Amino acid sequence: MAGFLERITERWKVYREPGFFKKLDHKWTMVIDLDKCNGCGACVLACYAENNLPVVGKDECAMSRAFSWLRIERYIDGEYPDVKVKFIPVMCQHCSKAPCETGCPVYATYHNQDGLNVQVYNRCVGTFTCATYCPYDVRRFNWRSYKFEQPLDHQLNPDVTVREMGVMEKCTFCIQRIRAAKDKAKDEGRTVQDGEVLPACVQSCPTGAMIFGDLLDPNSKAAKLAKSPRRYRLLEELNADPSVIYLKRVMKEGPSKHG
Amino acid sequence: MKYFIAYVSVAVITFALGYKAYGLYFSDLSPVQPIPFSHKIHAGTNKIPCMYCHIYAEKSRHAGVPNVKRCMGCHSIIKTDSPLIQKLASYWEKKEPIPWVKVYNLPDHVYFPHKRHVKAGVPCQRCHGDVANMDRITREVVPFGLPYGMVSPLKMGWCIECHNNEAQKYIGTPVKNGTDCWTCHK
Amino acid sequence: MKRRDFLKILGVGGVGTGLGYFFGKASKPPAAELIPYLIPPVDVIPGVANWYPSLCTQCSAGCGIHVRVMEGRAKKIEGNPLHPINKGKLCARGQASLQVLYNPDRIKKPLKRRGDRGKGDFEEITWEEGLSLLSKNLTALSEKGETEKLYFVSSQTRGSLNSIINNFMASYGSPNYMQYELIQNKNLLFANHVSMGLNNIPHYDIANTKYLLSFGADFGTTWLSPVNYSFAYGQMRQGEDGIRGKFVQIEPRLSLTGANADEWVPAKPGTEGVLALAIAYAIVEDGYYKGSDAASWKALLSEYSPKDAAVVTEIAEGRIREIAKEFGQTRPSLAIGGENLARYENGMSGIVAVNILNHLAGNIGIRGGVIPNSNGSRTIDFKNNINALATAASASKVKTLLVYNTNPVFTTPKAMKTEESLRNIPFIASFSSFMDETTAMADLILPAHTSLEDWGDDFADPSVGHPVVTIMQPAVSPFFNTVGIGDIILSLAKGIGGKVKDKMQWNDFSDYLKDAWKANYSKDKDMLASALTFDEFWNQLLARGGWWPADQAKVKSVAVSPKGIEAHIAKASSRFEGDEKGFPLYLTTYAHSSYLDGRGANLPWLQEIPDPMTSVVWGNWIELNPKTASNMGIKEGDTVSVESPFGKINAHVYLYPGIRPDTVSMPIGQGHSTYGRYAKGRGSNPIDILPFKEDPNTGELALNVTRVKISRVISSEKMVKIEGSTKELGRNIVQTISPDEFNKMNKEVS
Repeated sequence: MAGFLERITERWKVYREPGFFKKLDHKWTMVIDLDKCNGCGACVLACYAENNLPVVGKDECAMSRAFSWLRIERYIDGEYPDVKVKFIPVMCQHCSKAPCETGCPVYATYHNQDGLNVQVYNRCVGTFTCATYCPYDVRRFNWRSYKFEQPLDHQLNPDVTVREMGVMEKCTFCIQRIRAAKDKAKDEGRTVQDGEVLPACVQSCPTGAMIFGDLLDPNSKAAKLAKSPRRYRLLEELNADPSVIYLKRVMKEGPSKHG
Repeated sequence: MKYFIAYVSVAVITFALGYKAYGLYFSDLSPVQPIPFSHKIHAGTNKIPCMYCHIYAEKSRHAGVPNVKRCMGCHSIIKTDSPLIQKLASYWEKKEPIPWVKVYNLPDHVYFPHKRHVKAGVPCQRCHGDVANMDRITREVVPFGLPYGMVSPLKMGWCIECHNNEAQKYIGTPVKNGTDCWTCHK
Repeated sequence: MKRRDFLKILGVGGVGTGLGYFFGKASKPPAAELIPYLIPPVDVIPGVANWYPSLCTQCSAGCGIHVRVMEGRAKKIEGNPLHPINKGKLCARGQASLQVLYNPDRIKKPLKRRGDRGKGDFEEITWEEGLSLLSKNLTALSEKGETEKLYFVSSQTRGSLNSIINNFMASYGSPNYMQYELIQNKNLLFANHVSMGLNNIPHYDIANTKYLLSFGADFGTTWLSPVNYSFAYGQMRQGEDGIRGKFVQIEPRLSLTGANADEWVPAKPGTEGVLALAIAYAIVEDGYYKGSDAASWKALLSEYSPKDAAVVTEIAEGRIREIAKEFGQTRPSLAIGGENLARYENGMSGIVAVNILNHLAGNIGIRGGVIPNSNGSRTIDFKNNINALATAASASKVKTLLVYNTNPVFTTPKAMKTEESLRNIPFIASFSSFMDETTAMADLILPAHTSLEDWGDDFADPSVGHPVVTIMQPAVSPFFNTVGIGDIILSLAKGIGGKVKDKMQWNDFSDYLKDAWKANYSKDKDMLASALTFDEFWNQLLARGGWWPADQAKVKSVAVSPKGIEAHIAKASSRFEGDEKGFPLYLTTYAHSSYLDGRGANLPWLQEIPDPMTSVVWGNWIELNPKTASNMGIKEGDTVSVESPFGKINAHVYLYPGIRPDTVSMPIGQGHSTYGRYAKGRGSNPIDILPFKEDPNTGELALNVTRVKISRVISSEKMVKIEGSTKELGRNIVQTISPDEFNKMNKEVS
């Protein structure tokens, strides 16, 4: 038994080493311009609709079990009347050196060849380790098998499975859309083009603050924006090497003028 | 209770036989269909190509079951006197679809596109068995009335085996990212 | 072995086999069925999505949508990328309209009242019974010669639905078709009419402006055309020309849109109109106005010197002049007047003041300013409003009322006594798909399709400088036993017979729509040029999702003359009910970004996604400045009673530094007494405690019109919010750079 475990651990160790995939197929990246984002929340709803996120109800929300893979954080600085409000959409940052991946005892979360940090639902046993390791608090746990009330279940997206109790989940960068785009590209005998893959949040964003693309394609819009002098990444000091790039909000320092 | 052991052993054996018989002849491995449609007659004797009826296999994830109109396309002329065809015709007249029973049922978390496999040149028989010689579609190989093995177990190892090795027969290389979880899971 | 034993063993064997069989059956999941199509629909491939272009009806903006349909079920709604209003984007409300279609609380069949009115006791009937019941009622009314006692009230309708209802009412012989919903922008329409001569809402070109001065316009969530303006906002901030537009918001409570502004000017509630005029005065006085009639403007505005206004508005004189300077000098600049301004008692004159600002700065008719929309001028009957209905009903002048898609019982103040007046009406029929407060009063409910199941069209207002028409087509077949509203009206016409039937000879509403478009097609030379035959044109229309010209129409300049305007200039700041001592706090209300006027409260998604400003879910709250709260000893999450001279409600307190200490604010939308399992009994409705004040010119209800007092009460209910803290706690999560640095950076890059 011990030998078997050892063998398995040896075999899986390679996946944990950074740079296991010597050459990535893609490096999917999201660039979010915080100067454009107005915090309206359309992306949050788009995520609910696309990814079959359950509505958990008031009581579960009170226990911090709300399911949004993508949330809008809102910070208020200062006191009346020098109030400054800042919005930032936060979803899984798809870190290249993801802390969650090192923790999972069953290898349910790993990095794939597209540069995505992915979660395998049917491998997950629900130890909650990844969620505790995640510095961005973007992982969501199925505390129970949430019901989709009839006939609301007719809306469920057939491209995404409905998760059950005991499974950890998180933003996938709408991997089903990436897969669909690849599928279409393969039919047409070409590679995926820039702008062809749009995660639900990016697609819906009314202000156009979110841009999605392949960082390995130097001509993609996202790769160009990623070089902006306004770029920064969330909690960069943790050295998790996130794939989501934020562009700084343009905002006056110090107290604002008022009456 | 002279025959106690006999009773017990007969009970156990018949219980097992009954259990197996359900699995073999009545369960989803080889379910009884509302109309005893024979692939042997259609695909075997008459050599109708698979995709004449399973029209979506090249275009979609689902291969699709033939719609009732397609059945009636032939059977409004062919063998109309057979009672089974009349049963089919009665569905058509009632404007009711036929409640076929699913044989190959994948769990919700599996993403299996027929399209990709058909386009790669994997023959249907590779996974669905020698359909042309089956009267009733079964997932179990039953050479002499005895269960012999599964046509396709639909287990993950079986998928991966093909992605890694047998795929070379069809596309020359192993499937690209063929063992990545999110290639086949959703 | 004896024969007896053999039989025994045989018996045991038989029982064993049977048990084994049934055990096998019980232990394995039942086989799934594989139901084929009877006849395959031509355009359906199972497993492959179809996208149908249609129209979003969650608010009156008229965005184009694409509905993702798989095997006949709608799966997702996204914006139509070709559509000029929303450019492929869609707000949360629009995306949630899927849950209107698949809502478990939909009325699934026609219902007839069984018990007392308003008790919600209904019995199911068939469509034949329901339609004949209503058409008999209408026939009886017309036989008595009382056709004018039929009233029809609906939400704002445009296009073919509007014309078929008008057709029906005209051929029946009743002039009483009125459109009512809480947010109708009547004050804006009227103000634009008197100050700019426009009969529709112009295109506010936020995208290209360099200085946006917003008077309480929450254009990012609810005002006019939120998706269009949000997109424009993004362009204004980080557009292609690299110059970042400045944005100043004037409102007593920082809305979501205001939260994104560079500067917030918290003028005293009700004085924003005066502030606008003071800025206008400063523009003229300081010489930023280039017109020849500067002197007459100065005379007209003489009462509003920044010095005097500073006292009223509590905004320093220097600040007013500074805004005037920036607004007058930055080219192009744009002032907009939103709902917060329009919903004061004299809100209409506030909007007039904003128009004056735009005129003085020379923003009307230019790119980046106010661009008049040439098309779709609509005549709005300002007199035919909801109060006219309530008055007529109280005076027993209404015998039959038809209600479609509007909920006046919920959205009018209790002080207006809408519910009581409706009780006076002998027969009410509702075409709502949901049991809202007004529908609960009905005698007969004939549930109409939702927008994803029905035909229709919409002439966008405000448009974007050129005409935009959107076609609504059924994306899915009807899910319940409902009928489209147009078809209900046509069936009624057939049921009534006589001249009504003769004038309404269409088979169904889709024919009516097609006929209307045949007429449009034959008149419009652009449409004629786009396709050889009407059928080709119609197919194009359905495939694209509507009609809009390829190129931007020319910009028209409109002068605002001080002569026509005088009568509508604010003489003083807006009044608030309740004396300052007894009721120390101003109450402002606003349409919530998710629930709007309350219509979104029955959709679980909209209840579940946190409010962007407070992160509160499944309920509502009252916003209170932390200073005020600490003076009163109130903590966040406490329940307070909010009392105005007209009523009292309870609400949870949310402490929000972005509100004036003398003001409290509450979102509209919760507090339903019915309206399905997700909405019922959640939070409270601030409209309940408002006085009934309508604008004498437009009939628009004033919403920011009373003072309140608040006091703590004990309640077991809790406010649930998602956020932990509103502070970054030094983690530098949202990083910023200053505008100067940004401009320097831009230069370096280019």
